[in-house]
Amino acid sequence: MYDELVSVEGLRQEEPLGVVVADDDALQRAYTSAVLRKLGYTPIDAANGTEALELIRGGAAQILVCDLDMPGIDGHELAREVRRDSGDNYIHILMLTAQNQGHERELALEAGVDDFMAKPLDTASLTARMRSAGRLLQRERQLATRNRILAEAKEQIEADLRAAADAQRRLLPAAHSRVGGCAFHSAFMPSHILSGDMFGYFPLGDGLTGFYAVDVAGHGVHASLMSVALGHLLTADYFRAHVFDAVGNPDPAELVRALNARFYTDDGTEYFTMFAGILDETSDTLHFCQAGYPSPCIMTPAGASRRVGDGGFPVALLSSATFESGEISLSEGEFLALYSDGATEAEDPAGRAFGDEGLAQVLNASTTDPAAIPGKLVDALNCWRETRPLDDDLTVLVCERIAAP
Amino acid sequence: MIKTQEHAEHGICVIDPVVERLTAANATGFKEEVFGLIDSKHDRLVIDLTGVSFIDSSGIGALVGLLKRVGARGEVVLCGLSGNVQQMFKITRMDRVFSSYPGRDAAVAALAERVG
Repeated sequence: MYDELVSVEGLRQEEPLGVVVADDDALQRAYTSAVLRKLGYTPIDAANGTEALELIRGGAAQILVCDLDMPGIDGHELAREVRRDSGDNYIHILMLTAQNQGHERELALEAGVDDFMAKPLDTASLTARMRSAGRLLQRERQLATRNRILAEAKEQIEADLRAAADAQRRLLPAAHSRVGGCAFHSAFMPSHILSGDMFGYFPLGDGLTGFYAVDVAGHGVHASLMSVALGHLLTADYFRAHVFDAVGNPDPAELVRALNARFYTDDGTEYFTMFAGILDETSDTLHFCQAGYPSPCIMTPAGASRRVGDGGFPVALLSSATFESGEISLSEGEFLALYSDGATEAEDPAGRAFGDEGLAQVLNASTTDPAAIPGKLVDALNCWRETRPLDDDLTVLVCERIAAP
Repeated sequence: MIKTQEHAEHGICVIDPVVERLTAANATGFKEEVFGLIDSKHDRLVIDLTGVSFIDSSGIGALVGLLKRVGARGEVVLCGLSGNVQQMFKITRMDRVFSSYPGRDAAVAALAERVG
Protein backbone atom coordinates (compact mmCIF):
# COMPACT_ATOMS: atom_id res chain seq x y z
CA MET A 1 0.00 0.00 0.00
CA TYR A 2 2.79 2.42 0.89
CA ASP A 3 4.58 1.57 -2.36
CA GLU A 4 1.49 2.69 -4.19
CA LEU A 5 1.76 6.04 -2.46
CA VAL A 6 5.23 6.60 -3.86
CA SER A 7 4.31 5.64 -7.40
CA VAL A 8 1.53 8.23 -7.53
CA GLU A 9 4.18 10.76 -8.55
CA GLY A 10 4.56 8.94 -11.82
CA LEU A 11 0.81 8.65 -12.23
CA ARG A 12 -0.04 7.47 -15.71
CA GLN A 13 -2.08 9.82 -17.86
CA GLU A 14 -5.53 8.59 -17.03
CA GLU A 15 -8.53 8.66 -19.36
CA PRO A 16 -8.67 11.94 -21.34
CA LEU A 17 -10.38 14.88 -19.67
CA GLY A 18 -13.96 15.50 -20.81
CA VAL A 19 -14.87 19.01 -21.91
CA VAL A 20 -18.36 20.49 -22.09
CA VAL A 21 -18.64 23.28 -24.67
CA ALA A 22 -21.58 25.53 -23.84
CA ASP A 23 -22.49 28.10 -26.48
CA ASP A 24 -25.81 29.10 -27.99
CA ASP A 25 -24.01 29.97 -31.24
CA ALA A 26 -23.80 26.67 -33.18
CA LEU A 27 -21.00 27.88 -35.41
CA GLN A 28 -18.84 29.08 -32.51
CA ARG A 29 -19.53 25.76 -30.72
CA ALA A 30 -18.50 23.72 -33.76
CA TYR A 31 -15.29 25.71 -34.11
CA THR A 32 -14.35 25.38 -30.43
CA SER A 33 -15.12 21.65 -30.49
CA ALA A 34 -13.02 21.14 -33.60
CA VAL A 35 -10.01 22.78 -31.96
CA LEU A 36 -10.50 20.73 -28.79
CA ARG A 37 -10.73 17.51 -30.77
CA LYS A 38 -7.47 18.36 -32.48
CA LEU A 39 -5.91 18.85 -29.03
CA GLY A 40 -6.97 15.34 -28.08
CA TYR A 41 -10.02 16.12 -25.95
CA THR A 42 -13.53 14.73 -26.34
CA PRO A 43 -15.83 17.74 -26.45
CA ILE A 44 -19.51 17.42 -25.61
CA ASP A 45 -21.77 20.12 -27.01
CA ALA A 46 -24.36 21.99 -24.97
CA ALA A 47 -26.64 24.49 -26.71
CA ASN A 48 -27.41 26.41 -23.53
CA GLY A 49 -26.58 26.75 -19.84
CA THR A 50 -29.19 24.27 -18.63
CA GLU A 51 -27.91 21.52 -20.89
CA ALA A 52 -24.34 22.25 -19.82
CA LEU A 53 -25.26 22.09 -16.13
CA GLU A 54 -26.95 18.72 -16.59
CA LEU A 55 -23.91 17.33 -18.38
CA ILE A 56 -21.55 18.60 -15.67
CA ARG A 57 -23.77 17.26 -12.89
CA GLY A 58 -23.85 13.92 -14.69
CA GLY A 59 -20.07 13.79 -14.40
CA ALA A 60 -19.45 14.09 -18.15
CA ALA A 61 -16.56 16.53 -17.87
CA GLN A 62 -13.89 18.13 -15.71
CA ILE A 63 -13.56 21.23 -17.92
CA LEU A 64 -16.30 23.63 -18.97
CA VAL A 65 -15.79 26.05 -21.86
CA CYS A 66 -18.73 28.43 -21.88
CA ASP A 67 -19.90 31.60 -23.48
CA LEU A 68 -20.76 34.51 -21.20
CA ASP A 69 -23.85 35.55 -23.11
CA MET A 70 -26.37 32.79 -23.40
CA PRO A 71 -30.15 32.93 -23.23
CA GLY A 72 -31.64 31.38 -20.06
CA ILE A 73 -28.81 30.50 -17.69
CA ASP A 74 -25.91 32.74 -18.71
CA GLY A 75 -22.21 32.12 -18.08
CA HIS A 76 -22.22 33.76 -14.60
CA GLU A 77 -25.21 31.78 -13.42
CA LEU A 78 -23.81 28.56 -14.87
CA ALA A 79 -20.48 29.09 -13.04
CA ARG A 80 -22.26 29.82 -9.76
CA GLU A 81 -24.37 26.66 -10.08
CA VAL A 82 -21.35 24.51 -10.86
CA ARG A 83 -19.48 25.91 -7.86
CA ARG A 84 -22.50 25.46 -5.60
CA ASP A 85 -22.47 21.71 -6.34
CA SER A 86 -18.84 21.47 -5.15
CA GLY A 87 -18.50 17.72 -5.30
CA ASP A 88 -15.20 15.86 -4.95
CA ASN A 89 -14.03 16.89 -8.40
CA TYR A 90 -13.09 20.43 -9.23
CA ILE A 91 -14.57 21.66 -12.53
CA HIS A 92 -12.24 24.02 -14.36
CA ILE A 93 -14.27 26.79 -16.04
CA LEU A 94 -13.03 28.76 -19.07
CA MET A 95 -15.21 31.62 -20.27
CA LEU A 96 -15.50 33.26 -23.66
CA THR A 97 -16.11 36.99 -23.43
CA ALA A 98 -16.17 39.87 -25.87
CA GLN A 99 -13.17 42.24 -25.90
CA ASN A 100 -15.02 45.04 -24.12
CA GLN A 101 -16.43 42.99 -21.24
CA GLY A 102 -13.78 43.84 -18.62
CA HIS A 103 -16.25 44.42 -15.81
CA GLU A 104 -18.09 41.22 -16.67
CA ARG A 105 -14.84 39.35 -16.14
CA GLU A 106 -14.61 40.55 -12.54
CA LEU A 107 -18.13 39.36 -11.90
CA ALA A 108 -17.31 36.07 -13.59
CA LEU A 109 -14.26 35.56 -11.37
CA GLU A 110 -16.47 36.04 -8.34
CA ALA A 111 -18.98 33.59 -9.77
CA GLY A 112 -16.20 30.99 -9.91
CA VAL A 113 -14.75 31.19 -13.43
CA ASP A 114 -11.07 30.24 -13.61
CA ASP A 115 -9.89 31.85 -16.86
CA PHE A 116 -11.05 33.83 -19.88
CA MET A 117 -10.64 33.91 -23.61
CA ALA A 118 -11.55 36.81 -25.84
CA LYS A 119 -13.72 36.48 -28.92
CA PRO A 120 -12.95 35.82 -31.66
CA LEU A 121 -11.42 32.66 -30.28
CA ASP A 122 -8.04 31.76 -31.73
CA THR A 123 -6.48 28.33 -31.60
CA ALA A 124 -3.31 29.42 -29.81
CA SER A 125 -5.08 30.96 -26.83
CA LEU A 126 -7.48 28.02 -26.45
CA THR A 127 -4.56 25.58 -26.65
CA ALA A 128 -2.59 27.43 -23.99
CA ARG A 129 -5.54 27.61 -21.60
CA MET A 130 -6.53 23.99 -22.09
CA ARG A 131 -2.96 22.89 -21.34
CA SER A 132 -2.98 24.97 -18.18
CA ALA A 133 -6.36 23.57 -17.12
CA GLY A 134 -5.16 20.04 -17.93
CA ARG A 135 -2.08 20.47 -15.74
CA LEU A 136 -4.15 21.66 -12.80
CA LEU A 137 -6.69 18.87 -13.15
CA GLN A 138 -3.95 16.28 -13.50
CA ARG A 139 -2.40 17.60 -10.31
CA GLU A 140 -5.73 17.47 -8.59
CA ARG A 141 -6.21 13.87 -9.65
CA GLN A 142 -2.82 13.00 -8.21
CA LEU A 143 -3.70 14.66 -4.92
CA ALA A 144 -7.08 12.94 -4.83
CA THR A 145 -5.40 9.58 -5.42
CA ARG A 146 -2.85 10.29 -2.74
CA ASN A 147 -5.58 11.32 -0.29
CA ARG A 148 -7.47 8.13 -1.01
CA ILE A 149 -4.36 6.02 -0.39
CA LEU A 150 -3.61 7.87 2.84
CA ALA A 151 -7.19 7.40 4.00
CA GLU A 152 -6.93 3.70 3.23
CA ALA A 153 -3.59 3.46 5.04
CA LYS A 154 -5.07 5.22 8.06
CA GLU A 155 -8.03 2.86 8.04
CA GLN A 156 -5.66 -0.10 7.86
CA ILE A 157 -3.59 1.21 10.77
CA GLU A 158 -6.70 1.82 12.86
CA ALA A 159 -8.01 -1.65 12.04
CA ASP A 160 -4.68 -3.05 13.26
CA LEU A 161 -4.90 -0.94 16.42
CA ARG A 162 -8.42 -2.15 17.08
CA ALA A 163 -7.28 -5.74 16.68
CA ALA A 164 -4.46 -5.02 19.14
CA ALA A 165 -6.97 -3.40 21.50
CA ASP A 166 -9.12 -6.55 21.37
CA ALA A 167 -6.06 -8.63 22.24
CA GLN A 168 -5.33 -6.24 25.11
CA ARG A 169 -8.88 -6.45 26.39
CA ARG A 170 -8.76 -10.24 26.36
CA LEU A 171 -5.93 -10.06 28.91
CA LEU A 172 -8.27 -8.37 31.36
CA PRO A 173 -10.53 -10.19 33.79
CA ALA A 174 -14.32 -9.99 33.40
CA ALA A 175 -15.99 -6.74 34.47
CA HIS A 176 -17.40 -8.51 37.52
CA SER A 177 -16.01 -11.63 39.12
CA ARG A 178 -15.52 -13.35 42.40
CA VAL A 179 -12.22 -14.47 43.92
CA GLY A 180 -12.51 -16.08 47.34
CA GLY A 181 -14.30 -13.70 49.67
CA CYS A 182 -13.88 -10.75 47.29
CA ALA A 183 -15.98 -9.46 44.45
CA PHE A 184 -14.08 -7.45 41.86
CA HIS A 185 -15.75 -4.87 39.64
CA SER A 186 -13.91 -2.97 36.95
CA ALA A 187 -14.00 -0.59 34.02
CA PHE A 188 -11.28 -0.07 31.44
CA MET A 189 -11.37 2.77 28.92
CA PRO A 190 -8.47 3.56 26.57
CA SER A 191 -8.13 7.23 25.61
CA HIS A 192 -7.44 6.23 22.00
CA ILE A 193 -8.10 2.60 21.03
CA LEU A 194 -5.14 1.17 22.96
CA SER A 195 -4.44 1.71 26.65
CA GLY A 196 -1.28 2.04 28.72
CA ASP A 197 -3.18 0.68 31.70
CA MET A 198 -3.44 -2.91 32.88
CA PHE A 199 -4.83 -4.69 35.93
CA GLY A 200 -5.50 -8.16 37.24
CA TYR A 201 -6.34 -10.22 40.31
CA PHE A 202 -6.03 -13.87 41.33
CA PRO A 203 -6.34 -16.24 44.26
CA LEU A 204 -2.98 -17.02 45.86
CA GLY A 205 -4.21 -19.72 48.24
CA ASP A 206 -4.45 -19.72 52.06
CA GLY A 207 -7.12 -17.03 52.03
CA LEU A 208 -4.89 -14.63 50.12
CA THR A 209 -5.95 -12.70 47.04
CA GLY A 210 -3.47 -10.73 44.92
CA PHE A 211 -4.32 -7.82 42.66
CA TYR A 212 -2.56 -5.02 40.85
CA ALA A 213 -3.11 -2.04 38.59
CA VAL A 214 -0.44 -0.39 36.43
CA ASP A 215 -0.39 2.81 34.43
CA VAL A 216 2.45 3.13 31.92
CA ALA A 217 3.66 6.73 31.46
CA GLY A 218 2.31 8.24 28.26
CA HIS A 219 -0.35 6.55 26.19
CA GLY A 220 -0.94 5.07 22.75
CA VAL A 221 0.91 2.20 21.09
CA HIS A 222 4.16 2.72 22.98
CA ALA A 223 2.58 2.56 26.41
CA SER A 224 0.17 -0.22 25.47
CA LEU A 225 2.98 -2.57 24.39
CA MET A 226 4.51 -2.18 27.85
CA SER A 227 1.15 -2.60 29.57
CA VAL A 228 0.45 -5.80 27.61
CA ALA A 229 3.94 -7.11 28.45
CA LEU A 230 3.16 -6.46 32.12
CA GLY A 231 -0.25 -8.10 31.77
CA HIS A 232 1.44 -11.27 30.51
CA LEU A 233 4.14 -11.18 33.16
CA LEU A 234 1.97 -10.52 36.19
CA THR A 235 0.28 -13.87 36.69
CA ALA A 236 -0.72 -15.68 39.86
CA ASP A 237 2.53 -17.66 39.60
CA TYR A 238 4.61 -14.50 39.32
CA PHE A 239 2.82 -13.10 42.35
CA ARG A 240 3.39 -16.27 44.37
CA ALA A 241 7.06 -16.26 43.40
CA HIS A 242 7.73 -12.62 44.31
CA VAL A 243 5.21 -11.34 46.75
CA PHE A 244 6.36 -12.94 50.01
CA ASP A 245 9.29 -12.04 52.19
CA ALA A 246 11.93 -14.50 53.36
CA VAL A 247 9.70 -15.96 56.08
CA GLY A 248 6.62 -16.17 53.88
CA ASN A 249 4.71 -13.07 54.95
CA PRO A 250 2.97 -11.00 52.28
CA ASP A 251 5.36 -8.25 51.10
CA PRO A 252 4.14 -6.73 47.82
CA ALA A 253 7.11 -4.32 47.79
CA GLU A 254 9.26 -7.38 46.98
CA LEU A 255 7.34 -7.84 43.76
CA VAL A 256 7.65 -4.17 42.88
CA ARG A 257 11.41 -4.29 43.55
CA ALA A 258 11.67 -7.26 41.21
CA LEU A 259 9.83 -5.32 38.51
CA ASN A 260 12.00 -2.24 39.03
CA ALA A 261 15.13 -4.35 38.63
CA ARG A 262 13.71 -6.02 35.55
CA PHE A 263 12.44 -2.96 33.71
CA TYR A 264 14.88 -0.20 34.69
CA THR A 265 17.55 0.65 32.10
CA ASP A 266 20.03 3.53 32.29
CA ASP A 267 19.02 4.91 28.90
CA GLY A 268 15.36 3.95 29.14
CA THR A 269 12.52 6.45 29.19
CA GLU A 270 9.62 4.08 29.83
CA TYR A 271 8.30 3.62 33.31
CA PHE A 272 5.03 2.91 35.05
CA THR A 273 3.15 3.54 38.25
CA MET A 274 1.61 0.64 40.09
CA PHE A 275 -0.48 -0.44 43.01
CA ALA A 276 0.03 -4.02 44.17
CA GLY A 277 -2.12 -5.52 46.89
CA ILE A 278 -2.41 -8.77 48.82
CA LEU A 279 -5.59 -9.19 50.76
CA ASP A 280 -5.43 -11.56 53.71
CA GLU A 281 -9.02 -12.53 54.42
CA THR A 282 -8.19 -14.33 57.64
CA SER A 283 -6.82 -11.16 59.25
CA ASP A 284 -8.87 -8.60 57.27
CA THR A 285 -5.58 -7.01 56.27
CA LEU A 286 -4.59 -5.45 52.99
CA HIS A 287 -0.83 -5.54 52.35
CA PHE A 288 0.02 -3.07 49.65
CA CYS A 289 2.81 -1.35 47.80
CA GLN A 290 1.99 1.98 46.23
CA ALA A 291 4.44 2.84 43.46
CA GLY A 292 3.42 6.29 42.24
CA TYR A 293 -0.15 5.13 41.63
CA PRO A 294 -2.92 7.34 43.06
CA SER A 295 -3.95 6.50 46.63
CA PRO A 296 -7.02 4.23 46.50
CA CYS A 297 -9.98 4.79 48.78
CA ILE A 298 -11.47 2.38 51.30
CA MET A 299 -15.16 2.95 51.92
CA THR A 300 -17.39 1.54 54.63
CA PRO A 301 -21.08 0.78 54.04
CA ALA A 302 -21.87 3.71 56.35
CA GLY A 303 -20.06 6.03 53.93
CA ALA A 304 -16.89 6.68 55.90
CA SER A 305 -13.73 6.67 53.78
CA ARG A 306 -10.01 6.45 54.26
CA ARG A 307 -7.10 6.83 51.85
CA VAL A 308 -4.55 4.09 51.31
CA GLY A 309 -0.90 5.12 51.23
CA ASP A 310 0.77 8.49 50.79
CA GLY A 311 2.84 7.85 47.68
CA GLY A 312 5.84 5.90 46.48
CA PHE A 313 8.40 5.86 43.70
CA PRO A 314 7.18 4.76 40.27
CA VAL A 315 8.66 1.58 38.76
CA ALA A 316 11.57 1.58 36.27
CA LEU A 317 12.17 5.33 36.60
CA LEU A 318 15.11 5.24 39.01
CA SER A 319 17.51 2.40 39.77
CA SER A 320 17.91 3.72 43.31
CA ALA A 321 14.19 3.77 44.07
CA THR A 322 13.16 2.07 47.29
CA PHE A 323 9.78 0.47 47.86
CA GLU A 324 7.88 -0.22 51.03
CA SER A 325 4.93 -2.41 51.86
CA GLY A 326 2.15 -0.97 53.97
CA GLU A 327 -0.77 -2.51 55.83
CA ILE A 328 -4.32 -1.33 56.32
CA SER A 329 -7.45 -3.09 57.48
CA LEU A 330 -10.06 -4.03 54.92
CA SER A 331 -12.97 -5.73 56.63
CA GLU A 332 -16.03 -7.54 55.43
CA GLY A 333 -18.59 -5.15 53.99
CA GLU A 334 -15.94 -2.60 53.11
CA PHE A 335 -14.54 -2.04 49.66
CA LEU A 336 -11.40 -0.65 48.08
CA ALA A 337 -11.74 1.63 45.04
CA LEU A 338 -8.70 1.93 42.81
CA TYR A 339 -8.58 4.34 39.89
CA SER A 340 -5.92 5.53 37.46
CA ASP A 341 -5.14 9.25 37.37
CA GLY A 342 -7.06 9.41 34.09
CA ALA A 343 -10.15 9.73 36.33
CA THR A 344 -9.19 12.65 38.56
CA GLU A 345 -7.23 14.49 35.87
CA ALA A 346 -10.07 14.40 33.32
CA GLU A 347 -10.98 17.99 32.47
CA ASP A 348 -14.29 19.48 31.47
CA PRO A 349 -14.41 21.81 28.43
CA ALA A 350 -13.58 24.75 30.73
CA GLY A 351 -10.37 23.01 31.85
CA ARG A 352 -11.48 22.07 35.37
CA ALA A 353 -10.23 18.70 36.61
CA PHE A 354 -12.76 16.08 37.76
CA GLY A 355 -10.58 15.85 40.86
CA ASP A 356 -10.90 14.06 44.17
CA GLU A 357 -14.22 15.85 44.70
CA GLY A 358 -15.80 14.38 41.58
CA LEU A 359 -14.51 10.97 42.54
CA ALA A 360 -15.77 11.27 46.13
CA GLN A 361 -19.24 12.16 44.87
CA VAL A 362 -19.46 8.98 42.79
CA LEU A 363 -18.11 6.83 45.63
CA ASN A 364 -20.38 8.38 48.25
CA ALA A 365 -23.43 7.86 46.09
CA SER A 366 -22.74 4.11 45.84
CA THR A 367 -21.46 3.03 49.24
CA THR A 368 -24.04 0.25 49.40
CA ASP A 369 -23.67 -0.78 45.75
CA PRO A 370 -19.95 -1.01 44.97
CA ALA A 371 -20.62 -3.18 41.92
CA ALA A 372 -22.10 -0.14 40.20
CA ILE A 373 -19.14 2.16 40.88
CA PRO A 374 -17.00 1.49 37.77
CA GLY A 375 -19.96 2.05 35.45
CA LYS A 376 -21.12 5.12 37.35
CA LEU A 377 -17.64 6.62 37.34
CA VAL A 378 -17.37 6.12 33.57
CA ASP A 379 -20.77 7.77 33.13
CA ALA A 380 -19.84 10.67 35.39
CA LEU A 381 -16.60 11.20 33.45
CA ASN A 382 -18.39 11.10 30.10
CA CYS A 383 -20.76 13.68 31.47
CA TRP A 384 -17.88 15.80 32.82
CA ARG A 385 -16.05 15.59 29.47
CA GLU A 386 -19.32 16.30 27.65
CA THR A 387 -18.67 13.13 25.63
CA ARG A 388 -15.23 14.23 24.38
CA PRO A 389 -12.88 11.22 24.62
CA LEU A 390 -10.58 11.07 27.65
CA ASP A 391 -7.05 12.50 27.36
CA ASP A 392 -5.63 9.68 29.41
CA ASP A 393 -6.42 6.00 29.84
CA LEU A 394 -8.85 5.06 32.57
CA THR A 395 -8.93 2.06 34.88
CA VAL A 396 -11.36 1.60 37.75
CA LEU A 397 -11.02 -1.45 39.96
CA VAL A 398 -13.25 -2.04 42.97
CA CYS A 399 -12.40 -4.82 45.41
CA GLU A 400 -15.38 -5.59 47.63
CA ARG A 401 -15.12 -7.73 50.76
CA ILE A 402 -18.19 -9.89 50.73
CA ALA A 403 -19.66 -10.64 54.17
CA ALA A 404 -19.40 -14.32 55.06
CA PRO A 405 -22.73 -16.14 54.68
CA MET B 1 10.11 26.76 23.07
CA ILE B 2 11.89 27.11 26.39
CA LYS B 3 13.16 30.42 27.74
CA THR B 4 16.50 30.58 29.45
CA GLN B 5 18.27 33.03 31.71
CA GLU B 6 21.95 32.58 32.45
CA HIS B 7 23.73 33.52 35.65
CA ALA B 8 27.22 33.44 34.24
CA GLU B 9 29.14 34.04 37.48
CA HIS B 10 27.94 30.71 38.87
CA GLY B 11 27.41 28.89 35.59
CA ILE B 12 23.73 28.49 36.41
CA CYS B 13 21.00 28.44 33.80
CA VAL B 14 17.36 29.03 34.71
CA ILE B 15 14.89 27.39 32.35
CA ASP B 16 11.24 28.27 31.90
CA PRO B 17 9.42 25.55 29.94
CA VAL B 18 6.83 28.18 28.87
CA VAL B 19 3.99 25.68 28.96
CA GLU B 20 1.00 25.57 31.24
CA ARG B 21 0.86 21.80 31.10
CA LEU B 22 3.92 19.59 30.91
CA THR B 23 2.42 16.40 29.50
CA ALA B 24 2.81 13.58 26.98
CA ALA B 25 1.98 16.18 24.31
CA ASN B 26 5.10 18.30 24.86
CA ALA B 27 7.36 16.59 27.40
CA THR B 28 9.68 15.04 24.80
CA GLY B 29 10.13 18.36 22.97
CA PHE B 30 10.93 20.09 26.26
CA LYS B 31 13.42 17.39 27.24
CA GLU B 32 15.18 17.51 23.86
CA GLU B 33 15.56 21.28 24.09
CA VAL B 34 17.10 21.09 27.54
CA PHE B 35 19.31 18.18 26.40
CA GLY B 36 20.66 20.63 23.82
CA LEU B 37 21.62 23.01 26.62
CA ILE B 38 23.15 20.25 28.73
CA ASP B 39 25.21 19.05 25.79
CA SER B 40 26.53 22.59 25.33
CA LYS B 41 28.05 22.43 28.82
CA HIS B 42 25.17 23.80 30.88
CA ASP B 43 24.97 21.42 33.80
CA ARG B 44 23.71 23.53 36.67
CA LEU B 45 20.05 23.98 35.92
CA VAL B 46 17.07 25.52 37.64
CA ILE B 47 13.75 24.48 36.07
CA ASP B 48 11.24 27.18 36.89
CA LEU B 49 7.79 25.58 37.02
CA THR B 50 5.97 28.72 38.19
CA GLY B 51 3.91 28.81 35.02
CA VAL B 52 3.18 25.08 34.99
CA SER B 53 -0.16 24.22 36.56
CA PHE B 54 -0.23 20.55 35.62
CA ILE B 55 2.34 17.83 35.09
CA ASP B 56 1.63 14.22 34.10
CA SER B 57 3.75 11.07 34.22
CA SER B 58 5.43 11.94 30.90
CA GLY B 59 6.38 15.34 32.35
CA ILE B 60 7.88 13.62 35.40
CA GLY B 61 9.71 11.27 33.05
CA ALA B 62 11.19 14.26 31.19
CA LEU B 63 12.46 15.89 34.40
CA VAL B 64 14.06 12.65 35.56
CA GLY B 65 15.57 12.32 32.06
CA LEU B 66 17.30 15.70 32.61
CA LEU B 67 18.61 14.55 35.95
CA LYS B 68 20.05 11.41 34.36
CA ARG B 69 21.62 13.36 31.49
CA VAL B 70 23.32 15.85 33.82
CA GLY B 71 24.46 12.98 36.03
CA ALA B 72 27.19 13.54 38.58
CA ARG B 73 28.74 16.49 36.77
CA GLY B 74 25.96 18.92 37.60
CA GLU B 75 22.66 19.55 39.26
CA VAL B 76 19.02 20.04 38.41
CA VAL B 77 16.80 21.82 40.92
CA LEU B 78 13.24 23.07 40.62
CA CYS B 79 11.34 26.11 41.74
CA GLY B 80 7.80 27.46 41.73
CA LEU B 81 5.87 24.22 42.21
CA SER B 82 2.12 24.86 42.22
CA GLY B 83 -0.29 22.83 44.38
CA ASN B 84 -1.13 20.37 41.62
CA VAL B 85 2.48 19.79 40.67
CA GLN B 86 3.45 19.42 44.32
CA GLN B 87 0.74 16.81 44.78
CA MET B 88 2.08 14.84 41.81
CA PHE B 89 5.62 15.11 43.21
CA LYS B 90 4.47 13.84 46.57
CA ILE B 91 2.56 10.83 45.23
CA THR B 92 5.51 9.79 43.03
CA ARG B 93 8.12 10.70 45.70
CA MET B 94 9.80 13.07 43.27
CA ASP B 95 9.93 15.50 46.20
CA ARG B 96 12.74 13.24 47.47
CA VAL B 97 14.55 13.23 44.14
CA PHE B 98 14.52 16.94 43.32
CA SER B 99 15.40 19.86 45.56
CA SER B 100 12.83 22.55 45.10
CA TYR B 101 12.63 26.21 46.09
CA PRO B 102 9.82 28.74 46.28
CA GLY B 103 11.20 30.98 43.52
CA ARG B 104 14.03 31.53 41.03
CA ASP B 105 16.15 33.70 43.29
CA ALA B 106 16.10 31.21 46.14
CA ALA B 107 16.95 28.39 43.74
CA VAL B 108 19.83 30.27 42.12
CA ALA B 109 21.15 31.36 45.55
CA ALA B 110 21.03 27.79 46.82
CA LEU B 111 22.83 26.44 43.78
CA ALA B 112 25.43 29.26 43.94
CA GLU B 113 26.16 28.43 47.56
CA ARG B 114 26.80 24.81 46.73
CA VAL B 115 29.72 25.89 44.50
CA GLY B 116 31.71 26.98 47.51
